[in-house]
Order: sequence, then C-alpha cells, then structure tokens
Amino acid sequence: MNRRMAAMLVAGVVAWWAVGARVAAHHSFAAEYDRDKPVTLVGTVTKVEWMNPHVYFYLDVAGPARAVDHWSIEGGAPNSLYRAGWRKDSLKIGDVVTVDGYLARDGTKLANMRTATFPDGRSVLGGQQYYGTGAPPPTAPKPPPPGR
Amino acid sequence: MLGAALALGAALLGPGTAWAQGATPTRPDLSGFWINQYTPDLSVALGRQPPFTPLGAERWRTVDTSKDPTGICLPAGPSRGFTAPFPFLLVQHADAVSILFEYQATWRAIHLDGRGHPDDVAEYPYFMGHSVGRWEGDTLVVDTTGIDERSWLDTAGHEHSATLRLTERFTKTGADTVQWAVTYDDPVFFTRPWSITRTFTRGKAGDRLLPYTCNENNKDVEHLQKHQPNLNYVHTPGPDAKTPAKPPGDHER
Repeated sequence: MNRRMAAMLVAGVVAWWAVGARVAAHHSFAAEYDRDKPVTLVGTVTKVEWMNPHVYFYLDVAGPARAVDHWSIEGGAPNSLYRAGWRKDSLKIGDVVTVDGYLARDGTKLANMRTATFPDGRSVLGGQQYYGTGAPPPTAPKPPPPGR
Repeated sequence: MLGAALALGAALLGPGTAWAQGATPTRPDLSGFWINQYTPDLSVALGRQPPFTPLGAERWRTVDTSKDPTGICLPAGPSRGFTAPFPFLLVQHADAVSILFEYQATWRAIHLDGRGHPDDVAEYPYFMGHSVGRWEGDTLVVDTTGIDERSWLDTAGHEHSATLRLTERFTKTGADTVQWAVTYDDPVFFTRPWSITRTFTRGKAGDRLLPYTCNENNKDVEHLQKHQPNLNYVHTPGPDAKTPAKPPGDHER
C-alpha cells in the first residue's frame, strides 16, 4: 500500500471511529456506558494501565472548592492503539489532558473516552488502527528508534 | 508424471492418510497473517436479521447485552474470531490447519486427516467448536460442530444452540486476499441455514500477533449493568402479517 492509500485508510478509520462506532468486540458499549450522557473532563494523569482488554488512565480533575475528583477513563484496545502508533508513554503521569467521553451507567467516576487532547490541541490515544500496521495517525509521536 | 504418481498413491492408500488429503504441490497455501473485516453485528453483513424461529426471535429480543461471554473473557467462538477487530495466523499443513487468533489468544484446530467428529462432542463441547476439513478443488471446506452454546455469534448478541453447525469455505481470491463464506445451520434458532461472506486481507511482512491476555485487567466486568436491553432489537411483524416473500436462500446482499 502506498503512502497516499495508507493515509486515506487511516483517515477513513479515524472518521469511522469518530462517528461513534466502537471497538466493542468483547462487550456491548451500551451495557456499560450511556451515549446520552456525554462528559468533558480536564485533569492531570496519575496512572496509565496499558493492558488488555482496554487501556485505562486515571485523572485528577479539579472539583468545586478545591476538591479533587479521581476519574477512571477507559480507552481503546492496546493492540489497536499500538498499531496506530501509540505507545505506553504516549500519555505520561503529570500530563494535562481533556477527555470527551461517555459516563458509566453505574454512577461511578468512570467514562469511556471518545477523544483525548493535550492543551495544544494534539490528540492522544485516538484513531485506533484495526487493520494491519498501517501508518500512524497524523498526531502520533514518532515511533521509537529501531532495536527498542 | 509426479502428480499422477502421487494421485495413484493417494488412491491406493485410501482416506485417513496424509497423502489422501493434499500432499500434492497443487493446493493453494492459505498460510499467513490475516486481517479480519470487523463485523460486530452479523445482521449488517446479511442485510437483514437472520431467519429466526419463534424461539430465536425471542432470544434476540431479550438478550442481555451485559452478559456477553467475552465480557468475562470466555472464548469468542469459531466464527466470531473471524469477525473480531484483531488479526489471526493461519498455519497450513497437509493434515491440519491451525488458526491462531490474536483475540483472547485462542485457537482452532481443523483436522484434514479424514477423521470425523468425536461421538461425544455434544457432551464435551468446545467454545471454539470441533472442526474437520477437506479440499474441494481450491477451496478449503470446514465442518464444525460441538460449539458450546454459551458462545455468541457476534457482539450484537446473536446467540445459537448446541445444534449449531458451521460450514466454512476458504478460497484464495488473490495473492493477499482470502474469501471466507460461512453458513450458520441451527434449526433451534433459525428456520433455514443462512450465509455471509467476508474477506481476509494479508498483513505486511513482519506483522506479528500482539499479546492478548483478556483477564489481566478486565475492569469492565464490575461495571457492566445487568439486564441491559438489546438496543439493536427492531420489532418486525410476525409471520401472519403481510410481508413480502423472502428470497429462497439467505445470503448477504
């Protein structure tokens, strides 16, 4: 596949994903999250779990009166993210990130991320690549040097 | 000349030997790293809901989507492994084909040595079924029974019974594509067999299966809300309603 086709494929996958199709290969999204309850959270990353079946990261979100709310964010499948060029250190402890997602149905501070962006607007952990190794998403960091 | 000698040898040795099942140079080789066509809802591939029996329709209407077996890391099943958004390795030998799914790190063994299914496979089913195969020309035809009825056919929640029998046909359609045609035959759930077709695409040189230990950090299970309705269910009129006649064979549009 040439670079142009690869870019179109990535764009198509990102567009498809952004419209709301979910990698719900192992359970129904609707059984856990409420698409009618979107949420935007701005917080500081305190932990990243790069494990199957989903990547999770944890945010300290400023609440009212200097309170801090501890949120869990469920991301995509680690292998699909890896194939899109993301790595364990794409999101680091201490990073500030804005997450748009959907609230968990059970009332816990858990959301499923639709997008996550850094303050400068770069997206992170998005645009999962389901199909082959393909090209990394447009805003992915450079891949690690060979031999790692 | 060599081919004729091999064919004669195969005829003399009879079925049940490796020679009889394709130790010739002419079989296509399906081996490789293959990428699925992600299909979380088989009715989208079929173009309509499957032809449910009344029991099948009621199970579809009432399926609790929080109870997806893969949500607690039970295996996806033989056909759902081929519709998941993760690749697989196919390793082809004369007397067996191995399928290694990245998804949940599960496998299927397809026996090509002429054996049938075990007599007791219904009592001792496999989540991934028991598979035997044969070549029909350039197409690998696989028959699978003994599929544990706890598996689901897809993420949407299409279920099946212990009587499900799959017939799959694998055909190389190009250097980097394999067509997979699967027929679902389950008289408890469906009034007649129905089929879909998907395409596998070869990966790049150096592609590898990535790790997938499903239960290493499964946090969903504590959050899945019970008795979630089937949001994919759309009420369709019963058989007495005036509906157009359906075409004889159900196949994807």
